[in-house]
Amino acid sequence: MLQGALAGLAAGGLYAALAVCLTLMSRLVRVVNFSQAATGMFGAFVAVWLVTAAGLPIWLGSVLGILLAGALSAAIGWIAATWLSEASTTARSAMTVGPLLLLISLSFILFGNKPQPFSPILGGPAFEFGGVVVSQVTVVMVLLAVVVAVAVQLILTKTAVGTQLRALSERPTTAELLGIPSKPLSIAVWAATGVISAIAIVIVAPSQSNDATSLAMLIVPASAAALLGGFTRPGLAVVGGLALGVLSGLVAQIEEVALIRNFLPFLFIVVLLLWTQRKEVWDSAR
Amino acid sequence: MSSLVVDNVTVSRGAGPVIANVSLTVTPGEVTALVGPNGAGKTSLLDGISGVVGVSGGRIVLDGDPIEKLSRVARVKRGLLHIEQGRAVFPSLTVRENLSLTARTGADMDAAIGRFPELEKRINSPAALLSGGEQQMVVLARAFAAKPRFLLIDEMSLGLAPVVFMRLLPYVEELAQSGAGVLLVEQFTHLALGIAREALVVAGGKVGYHGPASALRDDSELLHRAYLGGSAA
Ligand SMILES: Nc1ncnc2c1ncn2[C@@H]1O[C@H](COP(=O)(O)OP(=O)(O)O)[C@@H](O)[C@H]1O
Ligand SMILES: [Mg+2]
Repeated sequence: MLQGALAGLAAGGLYAALAVCLTLMSRLVRVVNFSQAATGMFGAFVAVWLVTAAGLPIWLGSVLGILLAGALSAAIGWIAATWLSEASTTARSAMTVGPLLLLISLSFILFGNKPQPFSPILGGPAFEFGGVVVSQVTVVMVLLAVVVAVAVQLILTKTAVGTQLRALSERPTTAELLGIPSKPLSIAVWAATGVISAIAIVIVAPSQSNDATSLAMLIVPASAAALLGGFTRPGLAVVGGLALGVLSGLVAQIEEVALIRNFLPFLFIVVLLLWTQRKEVWDSAR
Repeated sequence: MSSLVVDNVTVSRGAGPVIANVSLTVTPGEVTALVGPNGAGKTSLLDGISGVVGVSGGRIVLDGDPIEKLSRVARVKRGLLHIEQGRAVFPSLTVRENLSLTARTGADMDAAIGRFPELEKRINSPAALLSGGEQQMVVLARAFAAKPRFLLIDEMSLGLAPVVFMRLLPYVEELAQSGAGVLLVEQFTHLALGIAREALVVAGGKVGYHGPASALRDDSELLHRAYLGGSAA
């Protein structure tokens, strides 16, 4: 049991980091970014290419791939801020399906449809716990998710830029009328989440199914995790991500239920929605 | 001399022009009142001046430079501040955070708070928990900290008891005395005319009167005609 739970924790950290990004995007720039994981995936694939084909050192290839993901995300953000600044959240979110599909096909064209020969940045065990080996990847991923969530919270509540971002998210027009530069700030949020997603994927991808589609579709468990925090609370998004990772680790261990593993995020979403709507259902039933 | 000139401006929304061919000049240190019935297009005109909506005709000139093509933020940088209709506070931000958006230094912040003793006690409450009058004080304190050269104020009194609004009005005068040119849109016509030098009455998307505020103040027949004037003119 413990082994399964701990095995799922690295993936859980990945879901959590992506869920924090989704939460930030939804809260600060009014978008459910379907291309969140795809952007990170593309950056990670470019990193692999830079290392395997162009012969760059792993660290340099990874840094460049991560920066590229940030730039890509910023470019999508520029589109949203330029042409869809007054559009509804639904329209802005729907727009991100475009880059999701584009990045998946582009990576098929450029890199083929096979899993990528990722060379692990981190390897080996970190420590043993209850007779189970915990890998470095697991430790780093969980820490990354927690650190990102804490940093986000601190930036939002303790810095001038954070106050401006919260002001923008509450009343965008009023904020602009006070001179707060909404476009550069929102593009910066896009860039930052692109970078974070790519870092998380670059770390975990070597130990996961890492073809383009699997990585891009990490958006599903990440959304389920973000839903726990209502797409507004980064802390709960982390809890949701880790819980989902541990759950899938457990389920994968038990042969009778191993098949439902792929449906777990979906079940998670359904249960959460039913739970949050329970009052309405109860009220309308009376 | 520094001035904000609105030159033959038309603002359209959806179906067509809602206010057309308005010309006026806002002078530093003075309050210009803009009054008229509901739906006359007052808010639309202010929105056009600050860039909330584009203007469909005419020019807006600040210190000799046309600004009607500039972004909202660029207009703010040139010293234009627009206080929107309703309660333009950020509800989940504390009073201090609301003020910090325009107060560049600690001294600016202290000076802004110092004018409003009521706010000092609520400095760490979210703005949402304040009364309507207190929220408008936050908006005014933010305006003081911004040190605007031109200030557009849209119906501060909306939803406030007249006695509460009467306590806010001296702050508007003070902002003007500190050198800002104020364009004041107000439902409480007589209170606005009381502190204004120039006044415009708009009705039905047209200017029905443009002249000294005192003339309207003293002649209620003239005011009445101007209020109805938009359709007749
Ligand atoms: N966002 C909008 N879209 C379409 N029409 C609008 C919008 N805002 C205001 N209007 C219309 O424009 C006219 C002027 O409204 P407004 O500028 O708010 O007037 P006032 O501030 O003088 O009450 C009204 O007829 C109103 O219905
Ligand atoms: Mg109005």
